Amino acid sequence: MELQDRLEELQSAGIGVAAISYDSQKTLSNFAERYEISFPLLSDNNSAVISEFGILNTIVQESLGPRAKDPDVTEDVYRFVAAEVMDSQFPQLRRMINGTPFPGTFMLDANGVVASRYFEEFYRERMTTSNVMLKEGIALNPIAAIEGSSAQLNFRAYPSNPVVTNGSRFSIAVDVKPNENMHVYGPGAENMGYQVIKLNMAPSEYVSFESMEYPESEIYHFKPLDEHVPVYQLPFTILQEAVVAASAEKEEQLREINALTLSGELEYQACDDAICYLPVSVPVTFTLEFDHLDYQRAR
Amino acid sequence: MKSLPLEKITRVTTILTIGSLLFALNSFNSMAAAQSKTGVDIDSLGPQVGDAVPRFELSDQNGNLQSLDSILGPNGGMLLFHRSADW
Repeated sequence: MELQDRLEELQSAGIGVAAISYDSQKTLSNFAERYEISFPLLSDNNSAVISEFGILNTIVQESLGPRAKDPDVTEDVYRFVAAEVMDSQFPQLRRMINGTPFPGTFMLDANGVVASRYFEEFYRERMTTSNVMLKEGIALNPIAAIEGSSAQLNFRAYPSNPVVTNGSRFSIAVDVKPNENMHVYGPGAENMGYQVIKLNMAPSEYVSFESMEYPESEIYHFKPLDEHVPVYQLPFTILQEAVVAASAEKEEQLREINALTLSGELEYQACDDAICYLPVSVPVTFTLEFDHLDYQRAR
Repeated sequence: MKSLPLEKITRVTTILTIGSLLFALNSFNSMAAAQSKTGVDIDSLGPQVGDAVPRFELSDQNGNLQSLDSILGPNGGMLLFHRSADW
């Protein structure tokens, strides 16, 4: 299980971990045994804590109540619960799901105050724990990293997750370390004719690439042209958000697949205080293991 | 007091108009992304950034009682809400 695999890194970052669900202690005990889980799985058997947090999935309740046939309710169940649940002949399936939360993650500070939160807009997608960690700046030990260096910088590119499944929302991270006196360009510099550093991933049948996340840049005064340009001079990380296809149709196509190959280019331009080097494009390829969704139930 | 040249005023107004238009578009987009047919807005549910989360006491898989304090590490915590471990 992914979170268990990342536990050591979270603990060394001083971050405690717990997962809450409405399952009974017995179910959780079986689950923990089956997946060798050592962090606390908390049993909120009557959904009291889920309700107190205000994140109870009320759409399931709606689908069991007087609005059961309302098309708006149906559409929301499709989006936030599961198409299978609504289409099923068996209302007990809906009753079984009643009491679950909208799945998500809170990152808390040492006083229990929310520092950031990650909730999904679509039930088939799930932000991976490693992706949350990258966004939070918690160091990962990259497993399948690509390293590269030039006269201007060193970089290391790696997926947040070596293993993904349908609906995994993960990241491709690029750690960049400009050499001494060197800078590369941040968002905004394109307006001044510079190549902003970016990962340009080739379209993939099963993975869609969404936005890139940049850290805050600094403003550099390029004296020869008296320009003030957004740049990075210190080590930084950019993240390319990616989602594995989650539709039933794609899931069917992915049934026979055990690996996903993603390729693209790292594009950047580096300059020092006198010379601007030509834009560079470095090919990168990642192979992710594809894990099929686990439909096995705990005993 | 010197009045602003007309050209400047027009330009300021234009910028403001574009600014509010962009703002309107942005809020429209985020609404479209976040709001559901039945009016559920997941982003607005539960404790927001800066809010303290409710205190709780729950039993873990081994039958030990855990609370927010027992879970948090020196630098905070990651609290996940799952649908179920059972299906």
